[in-house]
Amino acid sequence: MGPLIDALPFSYTVSVIALGAAVLGLTAGVLGTLAVLRQRTLVGDALAHATLPGVCVAFIATGAKDASTLLVGAGAFGLIGALLVVGLERSGRTRPDAAIGVMLSSFFALGIVLLTYIGSLNQSGQAGLESYLFGQAAGLVERDVTIMAALGLGALAVVAALFRPLKSTLFDADHAAAGGLPIRALEVVMTALLVVAIVIGVRTVGAILMVAMLVVPAAAARQLTGRLAGVLVLAGLIGATVGVTGALLSAQSGLPTGPVIVLVGFLVVLACLLLAPGRGILWRARKLARDRRRLLVEGVLIDLETALHGGPPPTQHELALASGRPRRALRRALGDLERTGALARDGERIYLSESGAASVHAVLERRDLWSAWLEHGWRLELPDAREPDPRDLRASLGDEHADRLRALAAEARA
Amino acid sequence: MSVDEVPVHSGGAPALEVRRLTVSYETRPVLWDVDASFPTGALSAIVGPNGAGKSTLLRAALGLIPADAGQALVQGRPARSALDRVAFVPQRDAVDWDFPITVREVVEMGRYPVRGWLRRLTGEDRAIVDEALERVGMGPFARRQIGRLSGGQRQRVFIARALARQAPVMLLDEPFAGIDARTEATLLDLLRELRAEGRSIVVVHHDLGTVRASFDWALVLNVRAVACGPVGEVIVPQTLRRAYGTDAVNDGAQDGELRWVR
Repeated sequence: MGPLIDALPFSYTVSVIALGAAVLGLTAGVLGTLAVLRQRTLVGDALAHATLPGVCVAFIATGAKDASTLLVGAGAFGLIGALLVVGLERSGRTRPDAAIGVMLSSFFALGIVLLTYIGSLNQSGQAGLESYLFGQAAGLVERDVTIMAALGLGALAVVAALFRPLKSTLFDADHAAAGGLPIRALEVVMTALLVVAIVIGVRTVGAILMVAMLVVPAAAARQLTGRLAGVLVLAGLIGATVGVTGALLSAQSGLPTGPVIVLVGFLVVLACLLLAPGRGILWRARKLARDRRRLLVEGVLIDLETALHGGPPPTQHELALASGRPRRALRRALGDLERTGALARDGERIYLSESGAASVHAVLERRDLWSAWLEHGWRLELPDAREPDPRDLRASLGDEHADRLRALAAEARA
Repeated sequence: MSVDEVPVHSGGAPALEVRRLTVSYETRPVLWDVDASFPTGALSAIVGPNGAGKSTLLRAALGLIPADAGQALVQGRPARSALDRVAFVPQRDAVDWDFPITVREVVEMGRYPVRGWLRRLTGEDRAIVDEALERVGMGPFARRQIGRLSGGQRQRVFIARALARQAPVMLLDEPFAGIDARTEATLLDLLRELRAEGRSIVVVHHDLGTVRASFDWALVLNVRAVACGPVGEVIVPQTLRRAYGTDAVNDGAQDGELRWVR
């Protein structure tokens, strides 16, 4: 750790904190992703809460205050918690979420009772255990960070070595088992890895909020990529960034570390959920609005064509009456059409320009093609699994098949 | 294919055989003392009403759920030690389709058990994956995330994954549930092609019409095995009445066609 710490542009203490937070964020991000994809996020929460009585028991048993001893207790209780959650679930008497809720609150209650008991002993130096509740980055020493890094690297190495079996089990456990994979054993490995991530992080982030470090990076990374390897790598990077940013902010401001880290993480998730290309909420909303507008404009074009077909060019008022569309929508659509030069006006009366007539023609052709697909599509014998996109059938089927479809429809009409 | 054309491999063990298989959930038996065998090189169906234990039979045979009694044999060997000869296509709804994985990666999973779970795939594996994708018509979609596929396309991906396994026995759990007619026809053609290549295929299926028209062999199941044999002998009103109850099956019009009325 020495050279790494020297290489950072911070004071010694701050460098140690930054490195510790980076290790914690990286491992929690990667290992938490496995839990999120198994839909076992809340198990992570239960295990994190279970570490609190573990820390207390380790302190009572050994009287030691150093992080390593206390974290052995945390790890042991994390594993016990995992066993109990799985046992309660398997008993078939409670639903998984109820089993998790029971274990989470019970372990946490035991932790609080033990903390109070330790406080009442009035020994010198028992103070500090409270930091396992909300987390504290300030107390990290170089030796702690070295141990965290060793544990974290070991866990990441296991994920790398077992990448294909883990991926198979996560995606489709039945298929993996039918291929001869010991999925029960792999599930145990994944739970053990989760405990490792929690043990690494619980001192800095705290038992209550540790779950955020497991979930936040995975949730953010999933918005940005559609491949497991990508999600794992990105979750690690996001976790490390969030961890370091939060820990440094907390060290400077004197605020508790866990909450600050989690709030930084929330901002990252929020940004990803809103803005991720192709998937983000805003992105989708914009696309949906555009599609709706296009449908509206096309509909108004057809309304206008119909009106022109049956009589003199209508006024906007007459068009609204004939089409039954809300005036506002109609006004917007006509505005759009006006801008693209599809309309011509004769005083109050509206008719189609040459380009407008061409657009009507294109829309009608698309609609014809769609109804031809619905009626005759099965006769096309498409060479692969391509499927029609109603918005643009020609592009999704290919010119060749679109032409054949038209021929089939014409043949049927004749 | 009529009854006497059912492929018979004299002396060879059946592709899949279950003997006295009993499976219960809690204390309720789902399969009771089932004997059934599915011949090599045939397209076989497992049919029966909802809750008859059709999927359970496949899952118990593969060891995915524990059996109370009985055994399952694949090509004459205990199924648990012959998993390398079986390609399994589970039900689609068991999978999280938002999972971050591409079509190609799913099909590559069919190669993992063949190559060794911890080994990298070779150029040969990649060629096999390409071929499997082409055969189900999913070549152009290889890089797409699986969540952006239709139900029919998802089923094609699952079948491609089984093809990549290159196993002589294929077991499919409700592959045609909830997919469009075009995909069903395409996949049925593909299963027939695979049979022509000598593979043995067992399909859990709910549509008696298709079974009658396209399959060679059937097991009619309702917790117990009602009948097991060539389709022409087994998919007949008497057995179906025993499996589905009396009102479920009516004899068809003059042409003798069996109709499925619910």
